[in-house]
Parts: sequence; structure tokens; C-alpha cells
Amino acid sequence: MKQFNRGQKSKLADLTPATDLTVGLDLQASGSPTFDISCFGVDAEGKLSDDRYFVFFNQKASPKGEVRQLGPRDGDAESFEVHLSNLPPKIQRLVFTATLDGAGTMSQVSRGHLRLLSNGSEVARFPFTGSDFSQEKAVIVGEIYRKDVWRFAAVGQGFNGGLSALLEHFGGQEVAEDAAPPPPPAPPPAPKVNISKVTLDKKGDKQVVDLSKRGGDRPIHINLNWDASAGRRGGGFFGFGGSSAPDLDLGCMYRLKNGDSGVIQALGGNFGARDRSPFIFLDKDDRSGKASDGENLYLHRPQEIDLVMVFAFIYGGASDFTSVGGRMAITDGSGDQILIQLNSPDRNRNFCAISTVRASGSSVEITKEEQYFRGHKEADGRYGFGFRWTAGSK
Amino acid sequence: MAVSLSKGGNVSLSKEAPGLKDVVIGLGWDTRSTDGQDFDLDASLFLLKEDEKVRNDSDFIFYNNKKSSDGSVEHLGDNLTGEGAGDDEQIKVNLEGVPQDVQKLSVGVTIHEADSRSQNFGMVSNAFIRVMNGVDNSEIARYDLSEDASTETAMLFGEVYRNKGEWKFKAIGQGFSGGLGPMARNYGVNA
Repeated sequence: MKQFNRGQKSKLADLTPATDLTVGLDLQASGSPTFDISCFGVDAEGKLSDDRYFVFFNQKASPKGEVRQLGPRDGDAESFEVHLSNLPPKIQRLVFTATLDGAGTMSQVSRGHLRLLSNGSEVARFPFTGSDFSQEKAVIVGEIYRKDVWRFAAVGQGFNGGLSALLEHFGGQEVAEDAAPPPPPAPPPAPKVNISKVTLDKKGDKQVVDLSKRGGDRPIHINLNWDASAGRRGGGFFGFGGSSAPDLDLGCMYRLKNGDSGVIQALGGNFGARDRSPFIFLDKDDRSGKASDGENLYLHRPQEIDLVMVFAFIYGGASDFTSVGGRMAITDGSGDQILIQLNSPDRNRNFCAISTVRASGSSVEITKEEQYFRGHKEADGRYGFGFRWTAGSK
Repeated sequence: MAVSLSKGGNVSLSKEAPGLKDVVIGLGWDTRSTDGQDFDLDASLFLLKEDEKVRNDSDFIFYNNKKSSDGSVEHLGDNLTGEGAGDDEQIKVNLEGVPQDVQKLSVGVTIHEADSRSQNFGMVSNAFIRVMNGVDNSEIARYDLSEDASTETAMLFGEVYRNKGEWKFKAIGQGFSGGLGPMARNYGVNA
């Protein structure tokens, strides 16, 4: 395994004879910001002349699967499967990038890496830290490119302007989500790239997920994340306290079409099950928000759901949702993503019914609720599951 | 048609351009396209004797000593960012005026403040050295370094040298640890 420094280059053949590779990237940063990791397949001029070769969260694979986004695996936040010999000649360069979604800069990165794997074993690794950066919000981490032969370069350079600047660098442009700007006098023929995610903005906003689409047999993934640094700042009269990170618990109340019902949450240790009823599974309890991927709930058989109400409540570290920056991302089996921000928190209530999931036929309807309650029992009263409630603790 | 060299390759300038008297050595690189401090690259040239040393300190041609004492070699100026098409820095050489005890003109490039800016040649795109005929600026030979540049902060790009009564050019592309000072001292300059 060869270790790379920023700026270092190598012929790929000096690292591995393989051209079917896995590229893994990982970034850790304080505050657990969200990084979007993408791959741009660009031409000899470094331009994205064919936007089907921009592989990212809204487009998980290039036309013939030469580049495919695999999601988190083997300790990497994101990984890609690449088949270099299948790439058309016009694609000269695969550029792997990381973009900060939201506030902050790349200088906050505590550690990160890009690594190349061949048949599961690591052949190259480029480690980096935030000290390599200052105000960048998007970075080109590394590149695999043709120049006579396939080569690899550890780049580690970026753009303060984030994803828009990155797209501009590759000759593309971001499609505006809302108001379209007036067209420039002579619009350059630039490929348009849709980088918008579906955001459910207001209570009652709905999105229908078609389960019959490709990948419909994969689970619906519900992710809850929040700001670890946003906790209650202590202090107090005698200087006790200090700060404690907020601990949010993700869970759901469910009722299946066969009548089974229950509550899945870390409280009481009911994590559900993947392979038997209710086919709903909670992966872990992140007590601090430090895990960059927050807490995750998987709906393995969404078609069997009558009603699922996904909730979060504050177990500790914060008194209400106003300071925690809660956000939920729901990814369907084909990789499309729906975002829900908790943007109208209630100061007096620490339980939030975030969304509901209802299945009908081959589609599933996801609705933003964002209704705040004093606790489980009050929420149940509103959604009508009819459970019997007793107090519990972790 | 210019000759394109790879690392280690050489070409006879006298054969490629018969009657060649003056050459312009051009060096170029792309301006930084990402955010961060500019790449400020400095070209320098050493007039070397058979033993690979300068005759004296004035044989070290760089931004603070732009012309050799005999006037045969002249540095045409420093470009601070790499902006502009074509060459970013040029050095003009009157081959006939090069003193007989000078065997070789070695051309190096260093990154200004490389350490404090955390920069190296691997971060610079499309670096090249080329030799042109001074009469009409037609390109005789070119060496594109990009794939030979990596974590170095100082590099020897190429050399123009005497060989059996001819002038030849060789593509070097070799890293040099340290920077401009150590590079100059290596050639016997009291830097």
C-alpha cells in the first residue's frame, strides 16, 4: 500500500494491475456536517461535457455502470465502484470531490482520506486534514486519469464557493431551485446538472415514492442528524456544568397491514428486526450526535406498512428542538432523497412527530408532520395507535 | 515541427534548426484554478563549467541577477501568478556569445515560499519548458513535465549543452530538495 501526499502522482499500474477498483472516501469533522461525495467523469479539457458521468446522490451510476456510487461501506463514508476499461474514450478523468452541505469550511475536517482498493485490499491511501485547507467548502480530493496510461493523483485543492464553484470549474452550472435568474445575453452551452434534493418544507408537504422503480427491493432509509455542538451550555451559579451534547432518539410507531403494531426506539431497547415482522430496524443509538451519520431507521418492507409515524425526542443535552438543528433525510430504494428540516420547533415540547409513511399499492407516501408533543403518549393520542404507555429509561 | 521530449530525452538543436544563433527558453504553467494562494514560480539558469559548477556567482541568473556578465544570457522577467497564455517566464540566450569555458546552461524552477504556502509541483498544472529559435520564436523542442512533477518544490526542468560542436537540449524533470538556495549552492554559488 502506498501512502500519498498532496500533489503526489503515480501510474496506476505501479499501484495495482487492476482496472476494476473501489474508491473509498471518508471525512470526519466537528459538528458532524454533511458531506456530499461525488465523482465527475470529465473530458480531455476537464469539462463535464456529458452530465451522465456526474455520479452523485441524484444519479448513482454512469450510463453503463462504469462508475457506481455504493454508499457507506468498510468504514468509508462513501465509496465508488469504477471499471476504468469500460469508460468511453471521451471520459479522460474521474474526479472525486467532497462538498460541505451547509455551514462550515473544510478546515474543520479533523481527518479524511481517499483510498483505492483492488479486490478488497488497499493499494493507495491519501490522508488529509483540515490544516490543508482554509475557507474551502468543496474540494477535489483525488483523480484517476488517462495520460498515455491510467494514473492517480492526490489533489486536495478546492473552492470556497462550494458545489456551485466546483460545477463551474467543470463547465457545468447548477440548476436554480427557485426563482430562475434572468438569462445572460449569450448563454454558453453548458450542461445543466440538477443537484436539488426534494425538500419537504412545510407541514403536510408530501412526496410519493414509487416502489416499483429500480431498486424497489432495497429498504427505505431514514436518517436523523443534528448538531452535536448545539447543546445546552452549562455554567450556572457555581461554575458546575459545562456543555453536554444533545442526545436525540429516533424511533417510530408502526402499524402493519396485518395488524401488528408497536414502537421501535432505543428507549427500552426495542430495535426492531430486518428479516421478520415488523421489518423495521433501528441501527444504533447515537448518544452525542458525534457519529457523522446520526441515527438510522430502515423500512425493509414498506409495502406492508399501514402507518408509520417517525419521531425524535430529546433524551438529554438540550431542552427542546430550537438549538439542535434537527434534520431528516429519507432515501428510497433507488437512491432518491427527501429532506425534512425541523424548522419550526416548539420551545416547550421535546417530542417531535417528524413524518408519516403510508403505503398504498406499489407506492409509499411520505408526509412532513413536524408536530410537537410533550411525550409519546400525547403523540399517540394524535395518531391513534392506541398503545399503553409506562415510563422507561435507557 | 517541434520535437516533444520525455524525461531524459535529448535533441540536437543545431540539427533541428541549422544556423541557430539565439534561443529563447520558455517556461510555463497554468495559473491556479482552485482557491488558495497563487503559485509563484521562479525560473533560474546556471552557466556551468565541465565540472557542473558556476565560474562565479554572476553565472547564477535569476530574478535578482537578470543578465550574465558577458550579456549572452538574459532573464526577461518574473511572472508572479502564471497568468497569460504561452510562456510565463523567458530566458534569452545568444549561443555564440556563451563563453567557451561554459559547457552547460542548466534551467531550474522553484516555487516561491513553497513551504509556507504548502505547495509543490504536483499541485501545478501543465508545467513545461521549451526552446525556441530566437529569430522567429518557432518552437524547436518541448518537454511537458506534468506527470513527472510530484511533491518537489524545486525542479531542474532542462539543460542546453555543448556536444561535439553542437548545441543540444535535454529534458531533465528532476526534483531537487530544498529550494532555490540549496539548488544554487549545489552549483557552487555562494547563496
